[in-house]
Amino acid sequence: MRSIDVEVRNESGLHARPAAAFVRAAARFVSTVRLANVTLGRPSADGKSIVGILTLGVEKGHVLRVVTEGTDEDRAVETLRDLLASRPEKAGQ
Amino acid sequence: MSGRIAGIPAAPGIAVGPVWRYRPRGAGGVPVLAVASRGEAELRIRRAADAAAAQLQALAERLCEMNRPGDAEILAAQALMAIDPAIVEEAVRLARGGMDPVEAVLAAAEASAQVLAALDDALLAARAGDVRDVAVRVVRALSGGHLDLPAVPSVVAADDLPPSLLAETPPGLVLGLALAGGSPTAHVAILARSLGIPSVVAVPGLLDAVRGAATIALDGESGEILVDPGAADLRALAELQVVRGARDRAAAALRGRPAATIDGQRIPLLANIRSPDDAVRALEAGAEGVGLFRTEYLFLRRQAPPSEEEQVSEYRRAMEAFGPARSVVIRLADIGGDKSIPYLGLREEPNPFLGVRAIRLAQDSRELLLTQLRAIWRAAGEAGVTPHVMAPMVATIADAQLLCGLRDEARSAVAATGAACPGRMVTGLMIEVPSAAILAPELARLVDFFSIGTNDLTQYVLAADRGNPSLGRYQDALHPAVLRTVAAVVAGADQAGIPVAVCGELAGDPAGALVLAGLGVDELSADAGSLDGIRAALAGVTGTELRALAAKALAATDAEAVRAYANELLGAKREGRPRGGPAITVRR
Repeated sequence: MRSIDVEVRNESGLHARPAAAFVRAAARFVSTVRLANVTLGRPSADGKSIVGILTLGVEKGHVLRVVTEGTDEDRAVETLRDLLASRPEKAGQ
Repeated sequence: MSGRIAGIPAAPGIAVGPVWRYRPRGAGGVPVLAVASRGEAELRIRRAADAAAAQLQALAERLCEMNRPGDAEILAAQALMAIDPAIVEEAVRLARGGMDPVEAVLAAAEASAQVLAALDDALLAARAGDVRDVAVRVVRALSGGHLDLPAVPSVVAADDLPPSLLAETPPGLVLGLALAGGSPTAHVAILARSLGIPSVVAVPGLLDAVRGAATIALDGESGEILVDPGAADLRALAELQVVRGARDRAAAALRGRPAATIDGQRIPLLANIRSPDDAVRALEAGAEGVGLFRTEYLFLRRQAPPSEEEQVSEYRRAMEAFGPARSVVIRLADIGGDKSIPYLGLREEPNPFLGVRAIRLAQDSRELLLTQLRAIWRAAGEAGVTPHVMAPMVATIADAQLLCGLRDEARSAVAATGAACPGRMVTGLMIEVPSAAILAPELARLVDFFSIGTNDLTQYVLAADRGNPSLGRYQDALHPAVLRTVAAVVAGADQAGIPVAVCGELAGDPAGALVLAGLGVDELSADAGSLDGIRAALAGVTGTELRALAAKALAATDAEAVRAYANELLGAKREGRPRGGPAITVRR
């Protein structure tokens, strides 16, 4: 299992477009992906569920915890961390 | 039972056919699937979810190609919702427990929708509607894709209809559309007009009237609906269709000729558009330019404002469609009022139509307007045309000065980058607030043109919220109080020698167009589909007749009298549609 905390730098947090980008990226890995909003202390959500991610209420500056588990957990956690830490134009498509 | 009921005409044309009632889910219309085993139910749910996701993704890609990235994004997010494990796994769990697969999908989606709806963030809460939309699509795929469509070409009767359903229906399957609810400006009505599907909306008692009926006929021009019409009714409709066909062909034959009266008084006809695609349709309809580009539509249904680049490309496409000789008037985004934009974080107001709206956004969202003005300068520079801009909701001299200041600031910013930048921007004000009408002589000295928005002017002059259906009797722009205000604006503009256009719905109504032209309005701007009708109306009268009509209209004390005078001049050929609310008479 890999776990990493990352601060969201995207202006609009994790609203529909960046949330969709995250889900698409997470779905490429075999590993399970959980995402928690450390700042708000809400229960974690399935990182492959767009509804789950939207319910985390992520805004710019929030710290998120990405937890991956499975055969490609290293690559998954790194890819997703980079995605969350990137600027909106990179997180877009 | 045969009957005759009436609603509000929403899309012209006559349709006759079998009745097909659209039943939304939850109204006793949830289908129950016969499935052999629970394992089969699970497989079908997963397949349906995948199929719905694929459909949504394909639609998203099509919208992207159509240069509508904002809409595309929403559909792409919906595609992910269709295969969202939180929904699919829950639906599968419910189905394994013995629930019907359709109900399982709806229940699972509803649970997720409610979680979203409960969130504090209004933008996220709005996604709940997206989840419910997606569930309906999954259910449709689950039921073989034919659940929500008539089997044979039919006239569709419903309380209301999701626009997406109309958009995806194979051409020819929906002959006509009758809705108990809705309004001519609802999205589904706008879509019906663009698809050429005759429609009548806001028909009281519609569903009761069509219950058990085999056939209905509807007239999207008069708003009349015949339930189980007799042979004589059908003959009369066929004759009407022939007469109208001849009238429409004669009107279309005038396209490409500049609009004018018999004695040669020119009244340029411009189009109201909301996207560059509309500009192309407007050209085909013989528009002599664009009198109103409603740019706020670029801002709707998305998560962030369109970038400056994106706006440059949209404005440029519209400008290039019309070229340097014909003007495209770009209205700064009319945001607020009934068009709220969640991502701007505007406060909710008790009276949005009297609130921080349109040019008033300059106080808190200055950058929004500056970005738009920079994009207009750049687009015009790239297209090699002179840009035309106007600001909505101007109320004071300070508002007009603010517009000119922002315009100049935006030009300096663009010029500083070394980009091509035209020498000037033709600048206008929308006159829709009574104070601006009263100040017309002074405002006219500050700008190049006026454009009167009769929809808002009417609601402000008569103090009647245009969205309030119980105030319909106050919402007729032909009211003499509105027309006298128009006359005062024309007089103020004349003193300064600037032209006056009208871009409200009144300009697209032949009766209204005649009155406005008589009042001395220089240009009329309307939806492309209305241009043939007003061009033909103007071609049948003289300037003297128009001025006499305007004099009578100004002396009148109610809108009905004005409409009667105008219809008299029009030759009373058009069947009048019921004013003052739809009437219902049932023949048994």
